[in-house]
Amino acid sequence: MSKEQPDPQTVIIGIGEYRIAKTPMSSIGLGSCIGLVLHSRNGGMGGMAHVMLPDSQGREDRPGKFADTAVEILVTELASAGCRTSQLVAKIAGGASMFKGFSGNLNIGERNAEAIIAALKGKNIELAGKDVGGTMGRTVTYYPALEGRMVIRSADGRVKEI
Amino acid sequence: MLLNSQQCDALRELGNIGAAHAATTLSTMLMTNIEMDVPDIKVIDISQVHQYVSDELAALVLFEITGEVSGGGYVLLHIPKNSVIRLTNAMLGMTEQDRELTEMDESALLEIGNIMVSAFLDATAGLLNIIMLPSPPTLTIDMPHAAVQSILASEGFMDINEVVLFRTELRSDQHKIINNLFLLPNEPMLDEIVSMLENLLKITSGPPGTA
Repeated sequence: MSKEQPDPQTVIIGIGEYRIAKTPMSSIGLGSCIGLVLHSRNGGMGGMAHVMLPDSQGREDRPGKFADTAVEILVTELASAGCRTSQLVAKIAGGASMFKGFSGNLNIGERNAEAIIAALKGKNIELAGKDVGGTMGRTVTYYPALEGRMVIRSADGRVKEI
Repeated sequence: MLLNSQQCDALRELGNIGAAHAATTLSTMLMTNIEMDVPDIKVIDISQVHQYVSDELAALVLFEITGEVSGGGYVLLHIPKNSVIRLTNAMLGMTEQDRELTEMDESALLEIGNIMVSAFLDATAGLLNIIMLPSPPTLTIDMPHAAVQSILASEGFMDINEVVLFRTELRSDQHKIINNLFLLPNEPMLDEIVSMLENLLKITSGPPGTA
């Protein structure tokens, strides 16, 4: 269990969802999925997406679900909220490979991380922190008002912050 | 929607039979009564999976379903952390509760999973008049949501927005053990199973003598 006091304001970002806010956001049990945070260095606000797959292949119905569209929608929505792209930093966590040896799992986690990093590079957004890969699930909470802290709790109980 | 309510009912009945067989094998292994709930079947949006599957540590034994169905469906045996030691103790004849999990526990969990899931698939497939077999199991002690999410992102599920969540709970009140069986068919497998079930219902509900 998390040692942090749960904040009643914390909003859960489910698989494929995204949100921009000043209040805390959390994604529970990330396996191959990635929690993507774009934090604005001024204004104490930012966005988070729960990215499931690396490539939207042109689909637009769920922008938070794919690496490419998630970066795009967060940048766009943060810009309309007054956060300039040059002020954004990114943090990512997740992308584990939990079941090695199963035929259907072609390193989705790793491909998710690579796709997000490539999309960030395309926008010149600095990757300020990452905790990706491995074999364990993670629960992440992002605190826009606390200088963009992203707290990561692994399945083995370890808690770290990026 | 992936399923209408009639199809849900048919699938629930199928799962009920499978789960009853899994419960019998568990009951034999533990030499105790096993209580079983009617399977819970829900069609939910992927963004809502967290409302039904938590991130609280559990033993997770995963099988891919193989045999006379298209690939890409899974069965997941979920044993909450506080049930794990009680389960392996009951199976291995040990009593110490406050101990770390050893390789012995892991072998026992894989074996329990194998026997229960084989019985589950065997009974289910028998009713459909096909053969379904579990792949060799993989065990991980981790967050259930992370496991289910990883399965849903795997190739076989092909970019879904909705999922059929099939769950049934098996309990031993005597040993205070809870197990959950999750059936996670991908869409092609779900379609196959549903159409086999519909054929079966057509035959059995036909006029007397036609079956």
